[in-house]
Amino acid sequence: MKNLTLKCLIGVLAITLLGGCHRDDLGTDGKKKIVIGVSLLNLSSEFIVMLDESMQAKAKELGVRLIVNDAQRSADRQIQQVEGFIAQGVDAIILNPCEVDASSPAVDKALAAGIPIINVNSETQSKPTAFVGSHDEESARIAMEHIATLLKGQGNVVMMQGFMGQAAQLKRDQGAREILAKNPGLKLIANQTAEWDRAKAMSLMENWIQSQGSQISAVFAQNDEMGMGAMLALERAKLKDKVIVVSIDAIADALQAVKEKRLDATVFQDARGQGATAVEIAVKIARKEPYEKETFIPFKLVTPETAAAQ
Amino acid sequence: MTTNQAQPRFSSILQTWGLPIALLLIGAAMSFAHPAFLTTTNLINVARQVSINGILAVGVTLVLLTGGVDLSLGSVVALAGVVAASLAQAGAYPVFIVVAAGVAAGACCGAINGVVVTRGRVPSFIATLGMMTAARGLALVVSNGRPVSNLSPDFTRLGGDLGRLPIPVIVFAVVALLAWVVLKHFRLGRHIHAVGGNPEAARAAGIRVGAIGMIVYTACGALAGVAGLVLAARTTTGQPNAGVGYELDAIAAVVIGGTSLSGGVGRISGTILGVLLIGVINNGLDLLAVSSYYQAIVKGVIIIGAVWLDRNRQHS
Repeated sequence: MKNLTLKCLIGVLAITLLGGCHRDDLGTDGKKKIVIGVSLLNLSSEFIVMLDESMQAKAKELGVRLIVNDAQRSADRQIQQVEGFIAQGVDAIILNPCEVDASSPAVDKALAAGIPIINVNSETQSKPTAFVGSHDEESARIAMEHIATLLKGQGNVVMMQGFMGQAAQLKRDQGAREILAKNPGLKLIANQTAEWDRAKAMSLMENWIQSQGSQISAVFAQNDEMGMGAMLALERAKLKDKVIVVSIDAIADALQAVKEKRLDATVFQDARGQGATAVEIAVKIARKEPYEKETFIPFKLVTPETAAAQ
Repeated sequence: MTTNQAQPRFSSILQTWGLPIALLLIGAAMSFAHPAFLTTTNLINVARQVSINGILAVGVTLVLLTGGVDLSLGSVVALAGVVAASLAQAGAYPVFIVVAAGVAAGACCGAINGVVVTRGRVPSFIATLGMMTAARGLALVVSNGRPVSNLSPDFTRLGGDLGRLPIPVIVFAVVALLAWVVLKHFRLGRHIHAVGGNPEAARAAGIRVGAIGMIVYTACGALAGVAGLVLAARTTTGQPNAGVGYELDAIAAVVIGGTSLSGGVGRISGTILGVLLIGVINNGLDLLAVSSYYQAIVKGVIIIGAVWLDRNRQHS
């Protein structure tokens, strides 16, 4: 009996859910609406949520329909979602890749099915129809150059790494080291992962204050969460006025902290610009209009001086 | 446990004092390896850094003692954190309401775990795995997938210090003391041990096994709520992605502390030592600037080694 009730419940639920998805495939002009499938890296990350919002806004403006799927960091799920889009016969696919190599089959499959695919924010090994994003190395170069300027090329730097082995960590590491190599007066005295996490960054900074003491002149954190953690730990140790902290992403908290002159700088990656441009290009391709194969949205350094203007 | 003729004395000494000795040895080694280790500031740092894992580990000890497990803690930490943070906006609610809401959010998740395990007879591994997913989803819903920031200074003060003593450490100490008293000196404590040791015998002896389960899971959830509050106050933000994997860190500490995964055997004092051992190793390896790759290997080896030793001495 219990089993039967359960089955009935599931049945009713399924019907309600299916009925809930009304179809609005026709545009206002009566022509078939352009449908774009979107597979996002992870909708529980603030940056990706912003990317999603800007895409939705642009889609509304252009009168196209988006089907947004969340791959939840799994490249395997991402490939399945793209297979689903191909089966639904969408007009274009926007891929926000989970991984460089593992998400490549998604690109290959879409191209093989003759559906244009646009990579947004990060790259895959396979070449998509078009790319919209930023060079991650560039953000770290901007951050480290700012540290070099503030320190006048002389001082000891510590670096907080992201999750080891992820594309963003590898590229930001590479960018930072390029600038360090150009500035022999800057010494990297410690270098450790805090896994993009604020609480872990606080602990790491507390431990560094113990082991390196007053030798640290600047902290470069590969994302703002870790930058905020380093800043809080330094503030609690009453050392913040002696140590520069620069990080990347320009999340709301970090922007606020820069305005309050607690964080020295952050690097703004334009999620809204990336999302909107990706939708624009997808629509151009679907309408067989000319389009840009590669669009790079530039990073911007945000300092207390420039933050006030934002 | 049968006595072993060949090494009766040594094994019993190891059983009682093995963990404190290991902690002292590692502490001594770190003191020689780095001058900053054995300083008041650093030891306070270690205490502060272990307090969240410690609060969770106390809850896990209770659950493991009854023979269950709780995998939902990390997600519940995040949920309690965002619930508290949404209420802790500057000028919104007084701190005691924020704290009560955070703890209540955790206790609710724990109580649901308790109902599903005791009434629904769903294995705790599965029940709490479901809660792990659901609570994370709820945390994302409550926060719209974004960190909740701009918390009132009254609330973030809870993550700061009282004199030289960090408040998170005081919270951990109070929680551990309460759990110790209950387990050692209250009938409830004996019943928790009895349920985990042999549920049938416990039931035959008139112990209300279901009620004990409810109490234990609810307490564990409430403690996850407390840990979520401490984390949000310390990092000055409530994050829906916080706490991923915290349950495993807590289980590792409890198991290193000698609590049996099959229930009935374990002590709060062991758990505290387990928590401290992991904390000292994390802190020491950071001070020595050991690469994060090797840190992960060292921690894994220590978890396996500690349980291996423990199992062998229980069999000997």
